[in-house]
Amino acid sequence: MDFPNYRIPFAALAAAGLISGCTSGVKNPSGVPVTEMRADERGFVAGTGIESQDIVMVTDKMARSILAIPQIASAQGVPHIVLDPVVNESRFPINKEIFLTRIEGQLSTKAMGKVIFLARERMVALERERELKRSGQVTASADPAPVEFKGADFFLTGKIQSLNSRTGAGISDYVLYTFELIDARTSEKVWMDQAEIKKQGLEDAAYR
Amino acid sequence: MPPIGDSNERVSAILNANWNKPRNLKPFKEGMRHCFWFALAAAGLILAGCASEAARKVVLTGNVMVDGPEAIAYGPARDKVLWQYRTAAAAMRQARFDLAKQYLDDALTRIQGIFGPDPNARKARGYFHAEAKKTFIGEPYERSMAYIYRGILYWMDGEPDNARACFRSAEVEDSDTENHEYAGDWVLPDYLDGLATAKLGGDGSDAFKRAQSNAKGLNLPPYNPKANVLFFLEFGPGPTKFAAGEYQEKLCFYSSPSPVRSAELIVEALQIPVAPTDDVGFQATTRGGRVMDHILGNKAVFKASTDVAGDVAIIGGASTLLAGGGRNATMNEIGGGLIAAGVISKIISSATIPAADIRAWDNLPHYLSFACLTLAPGPHLATLEFLDPAGRLMPQLTKTVSFEVPALGKDKVIFVSDQSSTPQTL
Repeated sequence: MDFPNYRIPFAALAAAGLISGCTSGVKNPSGVPVTEMRADERGFVAGTGIESQDIVMVTDKMARSILAIPQIASAQGVPHIVLDPVVNESRFPINKEIFLTRIEGQLSTKAMGKVIFLARERMVALERERELKRSGQVTASADPAPVEFKGADFFLTGKIQSLNSRTGAGISDYVLYTFELIDARTSEKVWMDQAEIKKQGLEDAAYR
Repeated sequence: MPPIGDSNERVSAILNANWNKPRNLKPFKEGMRHCFWFALAAAGLILAGCASEAARKVVLTGNVMVDGPEAIAYGPARDKVLWQYRTAAAAMRQARFDLAKQYLDDALTRIQGIFGPDPNARKARGYFHAEAKKTFIGEPYERSMAYIYRGILYWMDGEPDNARACFRSAEVEDSDTENHEYAGDWVLPDYLDGLATAKLGGDGSDAFKRAQSNAKGLNLPPYNPKANVLFFLEFGPGPTKFAAGEYQEKLCFYSSPSPVRSAELIVEALQIPVAPTDDVGFQATTRGGRVMDHILGNKAVFKASTDVAGDVAIIGGASTLLAGGGRNATMNEIGGGLIAAGVISKIISSATIPAADIRAWDNLPHYLSFACLTLAPGPHLATLEFLDPAGRLMPQLTKTVSFEVPALGKDKVIFVSDQSSTPQTL
């Protein structure tokens, strides 16, 4: 078959067909490229719950506050601190450990050795290692017999509470973060500080 | 006639043709044949182009555990949360709790971040898009159920405070009812909120009072913080949605009478009757009007009025044309204009979509219930019998669960549905 005269219109029609096929029909929503953000900035995906910027703000404030108290700043020797899990009384399920982990990290890196945290969450592994040393199954650089696990001078713990309301005008979530340092010998709360965040939002009318 | 060789020869042959002579139709037929192939190729390309656009078709098999993952991965993004809900519920009934957690976490993250402008929601509010165009997050009873299931899973993982957080969120989801008459009136989430608080050393009495006030004649057992085995039960088919009204613009709920009305828990020598604490159908039907219902109502009014206006304009235009008898230019123009306006109005009317969104979490239960008891650490066997409204045993629904009570004071949480696979070992 000979198509010399139809070559150009044929090619144009073919291109038009392909383009029309590509541009018509179902329109797939475009995605959002991965955006690297600072942990303390509010992202474009946001709700009224506990978010990374809240965690950063709260834990930064608590770490600064702890370092300023006399029991830490002017302590005789280095106080040993044990983390006691935060109690979540809010309406937001969260990984509670994240608060204390960040406060511990902030204090460890910025307190220049003013406090030492004890690894109580690793006690099972530590005890097993000590037993292995005591039984001679592994080597020990010092006599493993004496008890050398340190006791706590302070417990660092906290509580997350919330007050919530939802009406036709939207949803409002107030979250109160309370952290405290408790003297392990006297049970005195030697330090307590709070941070509070209130967020409100309104869904599109299509969801109400 | 020169032979039809190349195109120049063909053109000159046509130009020099003597029209008085009998026509040679060969070039014409050749051209027609080219046109045919040309049109066929064009149609093929257009169809191929259209075919390449379509998303991967999700073929439903009726098995949620097959359809769910497929629809979540390849189906419309707007239905993702719907399928996550359905698949999570089905996974829980097969004791695939990790899978349920994964889907519920994703769905809850989505519904917690639904604030602010949403292009899909904006479209759903528009006259020319259906409400079902919006991203599905469910009605309040569906969102509450997602939180309740997640709370059960948190408790199962030994996190009663996060479980309590979910139960509180379940009540918050239900707190924006019309007139606030039925706001936050789930019984079990409040009861479990108080139980978790009591187990964590707090005072759960306020939550207990709230639960009791909504329990409607059911006497809730006082908290026993030492109870270490918690049974979460669900049974009966859940509510469904349907659209009513001239243009299907009214969202309605239907909750059929449940063939299962209660259950009996048998653990060794213990035999505990379990009455329903929450009716999911009641929660679905007591929310009251939505803001979206007013939007759909307006759409329906717009559709009806443009339809009527179209009818009036077309009839008026036709009457004007007839009155003019086709000889009066002014009346012809007016009549033609009216008919054109009427047709446009009818097109706008037919393009308006006021239909309510009836996508529903369709494998929810009708009733929720709960029982807790204190058992010695070690292996145990529980039998769950489900009873019909007359209190007769429904033997085909009986479930058996083997479980191990931990020694370290952690609660053993057992979830059983009348749709659960059996026997289960947890």
